[in-house]
Amino acid sequence: MTPFQIFLVVVLASGMVAVVICLSKGLIGRLAATCAATVCAAGIAFAIEPNWTTSIAHRLGISRGTDLLLYLLVLTVLYGFLLIYLKLRRVRRELTLLVREIAIREAERKSPAPQQPPDSAQ
Amino acid sequence: MTRDDAALALLTAHVRAQTFVVIPVFNEGAVIGEVLDQLVQHFPNVVCVDDGSSDGTWEALRSHAPHALRHLVNRGQGAALQTGTEYALRCGALRIAHFDADGQHRIEDLERMVAAVARGDCDIALGDRFAGNAASVPLGRRMVLRAAVVFHRIVSGIALNDVHNGLRVFSRVAAERIEMTADRMAHASELIDLIAQSQLRVLQFPVTIRYTEYSRAKGQSWTGGFRILFHYLVGRALD
Repeated sequence: MTPFQIFLVVVLASGMVAVVICLSKGLIGRLAATCAATVCAAGIAFAIEPNWTTSIAHRLGISRGTDLLLYLLVLTVLYGFLLIYLKLRRVRRELTLLVREIAIREAERKSPAPQQPPDSAQ
Repeated sequence: MTRDDAALALLTAHVRAQTFVVIPVFNEGAVIGEVLDQLVQHFPNVVCVDDGSSDGTWEALRSHAPHALRHLVNRGQGAALQTGTEYALRCGALRIAHFDADGQHRIEDLERMVAAVARGDCDIALGDRFAGNAASVPLGRRMVLRAAVVFHRIVSGIALNDVHNGLRVFSRVAAERIEMTADRMAHASELIDLIAQSQLRVLQFPVTIRYTEYSRAKGQSWTGGFRILFHYLVGRALD
C-alpha cells in the first residue's frame, strides 16, 4: 500500500470508531450510524483495492471507477445538504416558538389587562 | 343610512375593545408612533410586536402601544403576526386584525372589515386594493401581485383578487383555526393556503393603500418576490 492509501485507511477507520462512539452515546440514530459506517467501510475497501471501483462501475455501465465515486460523492453531498436544511428548519421553528413564548410571557407580566369600555353591556 | 354607515354603527366601544389589532414592527421607529396614536383612538387594544428592531422602535412602542411585545431576535413578519395573534387570543380577543406598521392602511377600511366580521357576514375579511383605488399601486408591484393572484388560483385553488394584502380581520374561530408557520414574508402565501383549506367564509373588501416614499422603500423588491416564492414552495413541499 502507498502512504496515501495508509493515510486514507487510518482516517476512515477513525471515522468508523467515531460513529460507534456516537451511536453508543446516543448522539446519532441507528440508521444514520449504519449509513455512515457503510460509507467508511466502502471507503476503506476501495482505498485498499482501488480496482474494485472500476469493476463495480463497469457492472453499472459506467466507464471509470473515478466517475462512479464522483457520482456517489455528488449524491452524498446533496443528501447531506437536504438533511442539514431540514435540521435547520426544525431549529428555526423551535427558535421562533421560544422567542414567541418569551415575548408573550414578558408582555403578560408587564402589560395591563386588555382595555374594556366603561359600559360592559354590548 | 348607507350599508357602510349601518355597518359602522355596529362598531360600539365594546366591539372595538374586543377587536385586537396586531401590528408587526421592524425598524419603524420613524413612523410607528404616529400610526399608533391614530389607531388607538379607534381600537384601544393594539398589539405591537417588535421583531428585534435596532432603531429605537421598542422605546416608541413602550410609550405608544397599549400592548407591546418584543421578539428578542428577528424572526420575520409572519412570526411576529402569529405571536401577536396568539397573545390576543390569550387576552380573550373576539376578533383579530392585521395592520401594517408603515401607515399604508386606512383606519376607515379596517373599521368596515371589523364591522363585517362582528356582524357575522364572514369569518375572515381580506383587503382588496384592486377593488378600491388601484391607481396608486405602482405598475411593477401591480404586475407581481396579479401574477400572485393567478398563481394562487392554480396552486391553492382559491379565487381572491388580492392575495398579499396585509389588512385582514379574523373572527376568533378563524384565528384559532389558522396557524401560520412561515416565519418570514412567505406567510402571506401560506395564509392563503390555510384559508382555502379551512372552509371558513371569506369576504374581500375594497381598500386603499397609501403608497408613500417610505412604504415603497420598505416594500418587497423583485428579488424578494422570488425569495418568497422559494420559501413558500419549500414550505409547502416539506411541511
